[in-house]
Amino acid sequence: MAAREPSRYMARALPRALGSTARPQGIACRRFASDEAPARRLSSQMDELETASSLEGTVSEDVAKSFDPVAQANSRKTQLPRSRYQFRSPKYYRGPLHPHQPPPPSDPSSRVFVPGPFSSPRAQQTYTSTIAQDILALCYVHNPPGFKPPPKAPRLREWDDSPPTIRTGPSVDRVVERITIHSHVKGAIKENSSWLHVAGMAIQTISNVKVTTYKSKTSVPSWGVVPGRDTCAVKAELQGENMYHFLGKLIDVVLPRIKDWPGIKGSSGDSSGNITFGLAPESVAMFPEIEVNYDMYPPKMIPGCHITLHTTAKADKDAQLLLSALGLPFYGKMIN
Amino acid sequence: MATGSNGARRIVSLLRPSLVDSGVCRSCQQTLGRRNYASAATEASPSEASSTAAPPVLKPVYTINAGMVLSRAPLVTRDLEPFEKAYHFYQKRLNERLTLPFTKYFYFKRGTPADADWKNKIRERRTPARDIGHYDPYGPEAWNDELLVGSRESDPEYQAEMLVQDAESTANNTSQDTSKREEIPRPFPRVTEADKKGDHHSLNRLLPRTLYLLVQSNEGYWKFPSSPVEKDESLRGAAERTLVQSAGINMNTWTVGYHPVGHHVYDFRHPRPGQATGTTLHGEKTFFMKGRIMTGQANLSANMQNLKDFKWLAKEEIPQYVLPQYFSNVKNMLSDR
Repeated sequence: MAAREPSRYMARALPRALGSTARPQGIACRRFASDEAPARRLSSQMDELETASSLEGTVSEDVAKSFDPVAQANSRKTQLPRSRYQFRSPKYYRGPLHPHQPPPPSDPSSRVFVPGPFSSPRAQQTYTSTIAQDILALCYVHNPPGFKPPPKAPRLREWDDSPPTIRTGPSVDRVVERITIHSHVKGAIKENSSWLHVAGMAIQTISNVKVTTYKSKTSVPSWGVVPGRDTCAVKAELQGENMYHFLGKLIDVVLPRIKDWPGIKGSSGDSSGNITFGLAPESVAMFPEIEVNYDMYPPKMIPGCHITLHTTAKADKDAQLLLSALGLPFYGKMIN
Repeated sequence: MATGSNGARRIVSLLRPSLVDSGVCRSCQQTLGRRNYASAATEASPSEASSTAAPPVLKPVYTINAGMVLSRAPLVTRDLEPFEKAYHFYQKRLNERLTLPFTKYFYFKRGTPADADWKNKIRERRTPARDIGHYDPYGPEAWNDELLVGSRESDPEYQAEMLVQDAESTANNTSQDTSKREEIPRPFPRVTEADKKGDHHSLNRLLPRTLYLLVQSNEGYWKFPSSPVEKDESLRGAAERTLVQSAGINMNTWTVGYHPVGHHVYDFRHPRPGQATGTTLHGEKTFFMKGRIMTGQANLSANMQNLKDFKWLAKEEIPQYVLPQYFSNVKNMLSDR
């Protein structure tokens, strides 16, 4: 077989070589990794999963019907001691040599374990299925082979050990990384702390994230702010599932209902792809979580807030493209 | 075998009329062959032409087509895998076990009808969450948080139904007017009429998937709408013109960017004489632009491209209609979802 292979190749190739060729002969069969990309259906790839007894075989109807874990547990005469099945994570970390080590954070018995995700957010699915590929097609820069783009002056000064804060050059990869909701509570300085409690509760309700409070660092005499004394702001940082749910609510429920909302100002942004805009107290009250029991909030104390959308875009222009694709309009003069 | 066939290839490449040096590797040869402008420039210079003794390369002539891959983006979220459903449900019950108790006093004032309604419900389902079934996260049987075979609690449809029923009963129990029953609208079904009827002309089918517009020529071949690029016309302009000429003006579309997202090369079995300049055509090269449909519908009644039918198809359905070679060229620019 092996000996016959070249002659077979010759027999196929010679007539082509002797005849007029339309184009230079390429490699007969080119193969790309993407040619073999499987359709991304998990259930069709169950055979690739590790074998486990739960995945093998089927359970007959009557066995499944008669299975009652609570009754089984109650019928047990003797119990194992609690220490055998209930692991308690140590309260303090006593070093790597201590016999009682805390479990990894992904373990439900860990003290820092956070459950989730609970859903697959719609905004995220829209991003991955529609927006990401459209941005890729929109921003693709084609350099023909042999062409070298002319060198561009760097936007920021070059740094030798290039710290991660410096981000230069265009990029197609644009995602909303995190969202910060920040609210400066004036009433907490002028009057009492109840303003701060209500503001924290409201921000926590709309974001599903526990807020942190901040004290003033600078003195503003006209506002009566003394550094280090007054707690004057609450902030929530959203990532992942919470962030996408918040973004979805903001874009589809709250912003369309604001009267005469012109959009985000085109000049907003820190020139590194992070865009900020503000919401008035009456807009914050439009979030569905606050609306369902609006009566429980003192209406005067519902806070306004600033929302910062941190994106991986390296210039404001790129971030504006991403956010307008997500459904946040911009108005006025666009400044990068 | 490898050395043998390599030797044969080398002989064949020597026999092949080619401008390029046989010392250049195969993939580089291909790249060099593709550089049409550069090779044209070298041929033009007289000193180069006199120095090269090799026979002139036969440059193939192709018709350049512009095509439009018009797609309708997914309208609803995708169907979750059974594993994802089970995982999300497990995390929800775990969350009930691990979080602090629900702050009832903040949401329900004592003595109100809403408070009474809440007490009834919590007595029945044992947990503030409305969509995780009957489960007591703080009781002695909190460990029993796994679903049994055949239970529907992890199903999103079931959860949506539970939420609606809960909202309905709250509205009925707390309203002053007991004469009429409150009706909360259910979410629209994810499977539409067009899905049930198998109507491939409708844009209302397969809501969680991306749909692509395919047209059928009078000869019976299915393809994305495409036609030759005319003189002084950009690729994007040609693609937009093709779409209007084939599927009518009753569509609000957006062409994404100015670059093609894919291409398809079709070699004729035998070179044909071209219509325009008397050249011999060796095939067609189609470059596809990406488009999105916002509103409207395709209409072939006034088409100028010899088309007889159109269909809106998801990625998996396309290979049933187009030729295998065509699909292998276009499949990587189509969305998985």
